[in-house]
Amino acid sequence: DSHIQYERVGADVTMKCGSMDWDAAVTWTANGTDIDESHLNGSYLILKNVDLSQSGQYSCYEGSSWHLKYQTYLRVGTPPKEPVLMCRSNNYPKGFYCSWHLPTPTYIPNSFNISVIHGTKDMVCEKDAVPKNRCHIRYLQLFSTLKYKVTLTVTNALGKNFTTLTFDEFAIVKPDPPESVVAKPVPNNPRRLEVSWQNPSSWPDPESFPLKFFLRYRPLILDQWQHVELSDGTSHTITDAYAGKEYIIQVAAKDNDIGTWSDWSVAVHATPWTEEPKHLTTEAQITETTSASTSSFMAPPTTKICDKGAVVGSGAMAVCWTAGLVVAAYSVLFI
Amino acid sequence: MAAADSPSTALRRRDLCSRGIRLAGKMRADVIDLLDAYVEQQGLDASASVAAVEGMPLAAVERWDEQTGTQRLLENLAAYRAFHALLAQMLEEQREQLGEADAGLGRALAAVLLQVSAFAYHLEELLRLENRGIPGEEEDGPPPPPRLSLFEQKLRGLGVLRELAQWAVRSVRDLRQLAKPSPATGAAPGLADSP
Repeated sequence: DSHIQYERVGADVTMKCGSMDWDAAVTWTANGTDIDESHLNGSYLILKNVDLSQSGQYSCYEGSSWHLKYQTYLRVGTPPKEPVLMCRSNNYPKGFYCSWHLPTPTYIPNSFNISVIHGTKDMVCEKDAVPKNRCHIRYLQLFSTLKYKVTLTVTNALGKNFTTLTFDEFAIVKPDPPESVVAKPVPNNPRRLEVSWQNPSSWPDPESFPLKFFLRYRPLILDQWQHVELSDGTSHTITDAYAGKEYIIQVAAKDNDIGTWSDWSVAVHATPWTEEPKHLTTEAQITETTSASTSSFMAPPTTKICDKGAVVGSGAMAVCWTAGLVVAAYSVLFI
Repeated sequence: MAAADSPSTALRRRDLCSRGIRLAGKMRADVIDLLDAYVEQQGLDASASVAAVEGMPLAAVERWDEQTGTQRLLENLAAYRAFHALLAQMLEEQREQLGEADAGLGRALAAVLLQVSAFAYHLEELLRLENRGIPGEEEDGPPPPPRLSLFEQKLRGLGVLRELAQWAVRSVRDLRQLAKPSPATGAAPGLADSP
């Protein structure tokens, strides 16, 4: 008969060849490969201090007839450590979900059992098909001060472990991050960026349960974030951006009254509007241009200042510079 | 079925709901501050379980989203009237036991008591707007509760403040529901079809 045998890493394992006597002549194989006689004690197979690599199919054959007398599948693993459990409501007030995982693998199958008690009442946490390590509960009551107690027990052939979370209804409310964050320059405004976003689609009723938002932004070249908290609306205009600098922007959400802030949204990048560089073909135009403010006269970073055929100065030489060097170049040329 | 709201009624309701939401929000913030101070000064464990307090309205509700507007207003009004009595009792006990020792706590309790009164009045205004009768307050009030030990009084106070904080959140949600215009009648949802 073939069956599965579970053993702990580091254990000493003795396998008997079915009903064969101790002194019977037998041959053991592991995954089809003969096992050296040094591992045998009579007809018993002795595996000392087993490790994960020794998992596999072990078979015992009668010496002369090669009849298969015993077969087992050895699975080497560990008992479960205390599982990691998290519960969260990202769809308040509909319900909440709990998800879990093991901090280290056991290498053998585990089963999970979750119990939820609200006050003294048992509740059913319905397991999700995907992902498997998650279940969800619908709130039967709202605004309760009674705590929820969630206990997760993990069991495998080598042992069991459990963990418990206790929380109240408001504490686990954490929306998903805002979606569809868009940041755009504002025409003719070199220091503004218009940011808009949408409520997370998992939040079921933003009208009755409005979210507030936290926006953070910084130029890529700096480490320090600017923050703005917004109590309503799903858009905001940044008015103090550095001209011509590329910005990184993120938004987070929170229920207006309870719970915690969401994770930050996917980051978006944007650069404030800058004036298009004028093509300089005559001295009059050059003279006009040099008296203009340099802070607004910076081409977008990827744009070249002049085409190959453009003429700078009174000579016939055409010079092309990438952004950042334009102002310095003009200053040098026209000193 | 009631006729659609007049524009002025709808505007007045939205205005009352908005102000009510702000009142409830401020009340909640003050109750939470009071709760922190109360726990510290009474030497309590903030996470202590408290037995149900007699006469205290529980904020917990099933099928909250199915409640009519009138139900919301009436339940809120009954709750804040009950809290008024409970807080008044807490204030009296506080003054009896501690005298001037915890004047700050007493002042904070009195301030919350005032806000509870104001909010109850606000709810009455909303009910009047909907031409709903204001339920009378019980003349004699509930029978006096049995005399509790000092520790039991402190625990009861903890329970009352916790539940009041919960009610303040519920009230904000209730008023937001009330402020939503109903697409069919133009009235607030549930008010047109209340018993």
